[in-house]
Order: sequence, then structure tokens, then C-alpha cells
Amino acid sequence: MKIIGEKINGTRKRVAQAIQERDGAFIQDLARKQAEAGADWLDANAGTHPSREPEDLIWLVENIQAATDKPICLDSANPKALEVAIKAVKQTPMINSISAEPHRLEGVLPIVAAHKTPAIALAMDEKGIPKTKEDRLNVIRRLLGETRKLGIADNQLYFDPLAMTIATGTDNGLTFFSTIRSIRSEFPEVHITCGLSNISFGMPARAHINRVFLTLSMEAGLDSAICDPMDHDIKTAMLASELLLNQDKHCLKFTRAFRAGAFTKV
Amino acid sequence: MSQELIDAVVDMREEDAVKIAENLLSSGADPLGLLDDCRTALGIIGSKFAAGECFVPELILAGEMLRQVGGMVKPRLSTSGAGAQKKIGKIVFGTVEGDIHDIAKDIVVFMLDINGFDVMDLGVDVPVAKFVEAVKSFKPQVVGLSGFLTLAYDPMKNTVQALKDAGLRDSVKIMIGGGQMDDQVAAYAKADAYGKDAMAAVTLSKGWIGVK
Repeated sequence: MKIIGEKINGTRKRVAQAIQERDGAFIQDLARKQAEAGADWLDANAGTHPSREPEDLIWLVENIQAATDKPICLDSANPKALEVAIKAVKQTPMINSISAEPHRLEGVLPIVAAHKTPAIALAMDEKGIPKTKEDRLNVIRRLLGETRKLGIADNQLYFDPLAMTIATGTDNGLTFFSTIRSIRSEFPEVHITCGLSNISFGMPARAHINRVFLTLSMEAGLDSAICDPMDHDIKTAMLASELLLNQDKHCLKFTRAFRAGAFTKV
Repeated sequence: MSQELIDAVVDMREEDAVKIAENLLSSGADPLGLLDDCRTALGIIGSKFAAGECFVPELILAGEMLRQVGGMVKPRLSTSGAGAQKKIGKIVFGTVEGDIHDIAKDIVVFMLDINGFDVMDLGVDVPVAKFVEAVKSFKPQVVGLSGFLTLAYDPMKNTVQALKDAGLRDSVKIMIGGGQMDDQVAAYAKADAYGKDAMAAVTLSKGWIGVK
């Protein structure tokens, strides 16, 4: 299970403030804590106006790299911001994200191809997020047609089947799990990722929903998540799920985490 | 007024609510009274939602119950005064071009609706021209622009500008809302105000048209 640490996101008020005030210490602290908590990539999303975004994203990259050498996941739909930020990173970044929307196919996909970066690929097109599993698979097939044409290896792609909140359709969970299974069987090389919080939008007690959603998704074939690596409930659910799904040889990850105090509530 | 009906709707007992409504109608109750009861119930549900005691799936179910009762009532309203509950004002609402987020927009539209506004919901990814067209034909007092992404800033600005170019800007108040929006974005887009949630949208709209 690979973790993309989600905390450095300008759509969060506190991070937006840090970007605005150029509070580098705050960003560096968030980067360091996520790295220590086991993030494999650190997402960087400036969330600012497109005209400001390039310089803000570079500023985020510089501060993250001052704190840790974990690779960065450049989170933007703005080709200008991605083009400049990609020059500022020390290690090959991940790009978040491509999709079958024309502006992303034209603007972001060429950057992924040119720099041979891993990328998150959203199962949506200009018409939005398809309702059914079959329609989402069609979008994914189309996207893979494009990426293969450009010589991007399937295993560089992290497909996000896009969870819709359970609040507006009680079958949204089942659709999601079965989409994961179908991607797994049809395209065994690709990775599958998702954010953990959309599923519970509009519901109370969201942390509980998110945690079980993670477990069920992992059983279906999810092998990466965009989440908060410092979240105790998420981390412990992930460890236990990996253990139960034969993804933890000799149970070592679990027992080591136990000795390191991962299961002690603070 | 039927407290029994109001309670059934507020308690989310769908089957009971439908049954009670049927019984009321067959025993000769005023069909419009039933709709009033539903609106009273939805108002209560709306405040519970604002207070965090009631949640999105319940808003959807409440809307569904209102539709069912409305469907029963309609054929019994002989006169043309059918939808004659008094609307306090008209609002055109939509998620701006390039943005396809609908959940939050739907909640705001729902809250405006149960608070007595006649809302024309244009849906998501609404082209600028469609807003202009709707303002021309529907003649609202208020326009609501919804958007979740930072990429929605410019379409919002363009929509406001287009209304101005069409000579319609002074006929409406414009509010914006959604994930990345705030007062600064409202100023950037030259809208009149930013509303942070559904209740704020109701308060702003009521303030503009001068009802409490």
C-alpha cells in the first residue's frame, strides 16, 4: 500500500494562509511529519488562482524539499504550473492528475509523457463522472489508449475510479468496489488509488465510514491512497488490512508498527 | 394542519407519511393544507440540517416525500391556483462552466426552495450564455453561482461580466459559493456577495429582496 500524503493542499484554510504569508516553516513541518508517518509521496496543491499558481507551487516544492527527500506529487490541472514546478523538483514527481477531459488530455498528458512521471488518472471525462461501472471502464480504456500511444507504461498510472458519496446513492460503495475489481482483472499492471473522504461527504461520523471504506477497497484491489498519513485510525486500519490480505510478509510490518507504538492511542 | 403528517415527515417515516397523506385526502382535507404541512416539516428538517442533526441522505428523502405528497395533491387542485403557495422571490442558480460539482449546489437549491423561493436550477457546467438567457426569460432578483474548483474563478467573473454586457447586471444581485470561494473571489468576480453555506444563501437572498 502506497500513501500519497494529502496535507499540503491550498484548499485547506491553514495551508492557504501559509502560502499567502509565505510561512515556510509551517509547510516544512507538515512535510516532515507526513514523511515520518510513512507517506511515499507528498501531494503539493497550491489551490490558488491560476495566474499565481506557478510561483506558489514552486514555493511549496522548495519548502517540501527543504524538509524531506520524499518525492512530490504535483497536484494541479494547470499546465503552466506543472511545467515550471517539474523543473524545480529534485526527484521524478508524480502528477495529479490526468483524465479524459480534453483540457487535461491536451495540457497535462504531454507533460506526463515527456517527463516519464507516474500519474494519477481520474476515471472521468468532459461529461463528468460516469454513473455506472461500465461507463467508467470505458473512460479508463480510452485513457489507456492515449497513454499507451505515448509510450507510458501501464504501471506508471494510478487510476482513481472516483468514489461518489454514499449520501446521495447507497449503491455508490458497491459500484466503486466492483469498478476496482474490473480494473484489476482487465489491466493487472495499473495501480489503483483514491481519496478516502469523498465517500462520506454529507454524512456524520465520517472517520468511521472512511476507515471501513479503505479496508473494503483494499480487499477489492486498491493499492494506494491519497490520505492523511498521520491519521491514527487510517494507519491502523491500513496495517491490519495489509496483514489480512497477505501483503505483510511474516506479519513484520504489523509487529514492528506495534512495537513502535502505532496502536497506542494518543 | 396535521401534526401527524408533519411528525411523520420530520421523523423520516416515508411510508407513514404517504399513508397519512392519503387518509387525509380521502377524508376531505384541504389539499393545499397538506402541502403547507410538508413545507413546515421541510423547514424543520432544514434547520436540523443547518444544526448538524440531520444529513444529506435525509434531505434527499424529505424531498422525495414532498414530491410524493405533491403528486397526490396535484390532481385534486381543480383551479389554476395549483402551485399557488406564495413564492417570495425568484432565483437562477447553477454551477459555472467547466465545473461539474452538484452536491453542494443541490443542497443550496433545496434550502432556497423550502424557504419559499422559486428557483430555476440550471444544473452544472452551465455556459455563460445560458445564465444570460435564464436571467432574461425568468427575471430573477438573485443569481447564485456555484463552483468547487479554483478553475471556477474565471467562469464566475465571465458570467458576471456577460450579465453586465447584456444590460442585466443591475436587475439582479449575484452571490457565489462553493469549496474554494470566499469574499476575495466574490470581489474578483465582481459578484455582490459570497455565502459560506446553504443558510447563508437563504439569508443573503432574503436580505436582498427585503423579507425577514
